[in-house]
Amino acid sequence: MHSFKTPDKIKNSYSSRICQIADERKKGKKVVGTFCLFVPDEIIFAAGADRVILCGGKNETIPIAEQYLPRNICPLVKSSFGSLVNDGSSDVKSCSHFSMVDMVIAENTCDSKKKMYELLGNYIPTYVIDLPQRPDSPEALKYFLSELEKFKSAMEELTGNRVTKDRLREEIKSSNETRKLLHSLYDMRKKDPAPINGTEILKLLQRQYFLSPGEFKEHIRNLIKEVEESEPEENHRPRILISGCPMSGGNSKVPEIIEDRGGMIVAEESCTGTRSFWDPVDEDKEPMLALAERYIKIPCSCMSPNDRRVDNNLELAEEFDVDGVVYYTLQFCHGYNIEKHKVQQALKKAGIPMLFIETDYSGSDVEQIKLRVDAFMEMLS
Amino acid sequence: MITIGIDAGSATTKAVLVNGESNIIKSIRPTAFDFVSAADDACEDVLEMSGIDRKDVKHIYSTGYGRNSIKFADKSISEITAHTKGVHHLYPEVRGIIDIGGQDCKVISVTDGRVMDFIMNDKCAAGTGKFLEYTARALEVPIDRLGDVALSSENPAEITSMCTVFAESEVISLRAKGFSKEDIAAGLVRSIARRVAVMARQMGLQENVAFVGGVAKNTGIKAALEKELGISLYVLPEPQITGALGAALYAQEKHQ
Repeated sequence: MHSFKTPDKIKNSYSSRICQIADERKKGKKVVGTFCLFVPDEIIFAAGADRVILCGGKNETIPIAEQYLPRNICPLVKSSFGSLVNDGSSDVKSCSHFSMVDMVIAENTCDSKKKMYELLGNYIPTYVIDLPQRPDSPEALKYFLSELEKFKSAMEELTGNRVTKDRLREEIKSSNETRKLLHSLYDMRKKDPAPINGTEILKLLQRQYFLSPGEFKEHIRNLIKEVEESEPEENHRPRILISGCPMSGGNSKVPEIIEDRGGMIVAEESCTGTRSFWDPVDEDKEPMLALAERYIKIPCSCMSPNDRRVDNNLELAEEFDVDGVVYYTLQFCHGYNIEKHKVQQALKKAGIPMLFIETDYSGSDVEQIKLRVDAFMEMLS
Repeated sequence: MITIGIDAGSATTKAVLVNGESNIIKSIRPTAFDFVSAADDACEDVLEMSGIDRKDVKHIYSTGYGRNSIKFADKSISEITAHTKGVHHLYPEVRGIIDIGGQDCKVISVTDGRVMDFIMNDKCAAGTGKFLEYTARALEVPIDRLGDVALSSENPAEITSMCTVFAESEVISLRAKGFSKEDIAAGLVRSIARRVAVMARQMGLQENVAFVGGVAKNTGIKAALEKELGISLYVLPEPQITGALGAALYAQEKHQ
């Protein structure tokens, strides 16, 4: 596989970005931390604040969290909490992201996250956006819009800046540009063989929330150019769609195994994949309403009923001409684990093979996952 | 063409030598700690038994948990594919495979000798040979007699825990309540059968189902599984060697 320079450049811009954020904070800029796609970036940027994503993909911070949280909840929640409360008493390196935010912007999605945010409030100012859980009802949109209005006011209060309609429109336009660029990148993955592997794309998407939007756009432009100029691979490899739980920074175990064992991930039906950018915000509508309409449609498994995810899987499988789907979930993530059945039935009907992998951040099941992936690849080829 | 398949399993290592399509020589050895030397020894066994020189072996394919550590093998394939190949060779009508090994349990749906779908339990020892080993120890019944002991019960005890550690303590408390060894053994066997039957039903296995892996030798489990699923299972004469056989056959096919 061709190796590209851009992913390394993005990795390197991490440290300079930390300094940049620290400098801006000194000058009075507010920085918020987010966990989830339901928080509209546009409102944060329109308020003149900056944003970073908070950690949640590292195994090392889990034992710290288990002093406070039950063991049998998802690793993402435990890892996030452990990153914050890490008191330095162990050898685990603290997450620098938490120390650079003035406020956490959280959202009511699954039960574990909701309850974790209540505890998080003891350590850091935490603002929670409440999500309606039945997104298709007209009341839900109205309620979500009112929640976003409240969030907007909270951001205005935090930054001392007014969020005007014009500023919102500018930010919507800017984020739509990013989405368009990512679509162009994904169009290239539709080729067979795909010119860039899924593990590289995942790392790129994981890092996007730490970069400034301008910087991120520049990196994608460069990457697109690099991919265009690269020599195409010759051999077909089984084309895989990954579907399911998000993979926060630090968590790339399963995609790495899939691609190491001969597969090629060509798309992701996940929050750290297509879901983050697939749908644009309507630029012609009243901006707050347009944002509410776009964000409420995110097919997270906390929503009910949630047939959108089933449709998304089928559409992506067709659009990216996949040979099989790997349904990936984190242990104790009930929403995604239960939705597996529905997705599996739909894929079966469409004649698309699916492999189910439930795992955590530890390395304890690497050999078992390799076996399943080997068998799945042998089945597909 | 002469090929060898090695199944480096967690409990036992199996080697099968295939000379053409029909001539099959096999060896089964305990794996112990060292996958590689167990594989090497099993390999030597089949060579000695067949009187064939190692340099006349065209290809060696490995499978099983230790498949990637057998460096002298030309290629490794998954147990799922290997078992399917091996079972299909011995039993061409096969539509489903239940494989209960030492560490995990696999259920495979098969069409024309090809894997269509599969599921595995590998989260814990529940429903595996390890579970039987531990609970048989708590019952003080030799593992190879557990099935027959279970079959002689008329009133199986209810074992509710599928966790190996908790099942062991459940066995102890059932003994304290006065249950016989036979009844507890029957309860254990039934609890495994229930667990595996859930997976088999998920895969939609209905007929021509083969039962392979070391646990297939346990008559009690076979009977309990058949009762749970309402079908009769086909147990191959040598249920442990299908993986190694499949790997050897796969090598034959690949290099025809």
